[in-house]
Amino acid sequence: MMQRAKELLLNPWFQLVLSVLFVTTSEVFLKRGAMKAPRLPEEVNWTGVSALASPDVWYGILFVIASFISWLYVLRFIPLTIAFPLSNFVHVLVPLSSWFFLNEHISVQRWCGIALVLLGVLIVAKPVARMEEKL
Amino acid sequence: MTPISALLIFVALILFILGQLFLKHAMEDDLRSARFRKNFAIGLSAMTVSFFITLGLLQHFDLSYLYPFQGLSVVIISLLAAAILREKLTLRLFFGAALISAGVVLVSLS
Repeated sequence: MMQRAKELLLNPWFQLVLSVLFVTTSEVFLKRGAMKAPRLPEEVNWTGVSALASPDVWYGILFVIASFISWLYVLRFIPLTIAFPLSNFVHVLVPLSSWFFLNEHISVQRWCGIALVLLGVLIVAKPVARMEEKL
Repeated sequence: MTPISALLIFVALILFILGQLFLKHAMEDDLRSARFRKNFAIGLSAMTVSFFITLGLLQHFDLSYLYPFQGLSVVIISLLAAAILREKLTLRLFFGAALISAGVVLVSLS
């Protein structure tokens, strides 16, 4: 049991999945926190530093760090030409989460974009999945 | 969108791409070497600045509108990884990357 958990954690493809989930979670927290932040005058507000007053932003940062660690592990084992396109599954998950958790509106055009991203991810992932089966 | 916010979106994108390439290059190295530390530091700095600019932009735009600008980075990163890091880029991988970029741009324009 422990052995299998360890093998799973050391699997770069599993870490890629974790990284994507962590990024999505962090984005939702960051947006929630940024919305609650006090608005400073435009000229000094562009770094968004006032958002650090919100705990949601700090949860967001924790998830950013977690996703970053997973991502570094992925980079050590998987080529960027494969790992980076696959990591863009976040562009499917983030709009869906924005819609589900933040009540943001998704237009028909945006749904089409989400479908295209999904198709691209599947095209990149399919030969990889076949390669893994053979191992 | 004002010229300033367009510029900030552009700068955040460039720094994000550079950060990814430097981090990938670093992680393939011997983790105790001085070259790893240098490339890692450059990559991490670029990503950090990009992150804070994005955080600022989030106060003015919807998440589902803003975040996808980074989707352009898919095709750019695939091409640069092949050109600079000498990774194998098959037609299939490039086609997949192009679809993802197109999809993400479509999402960000709507």
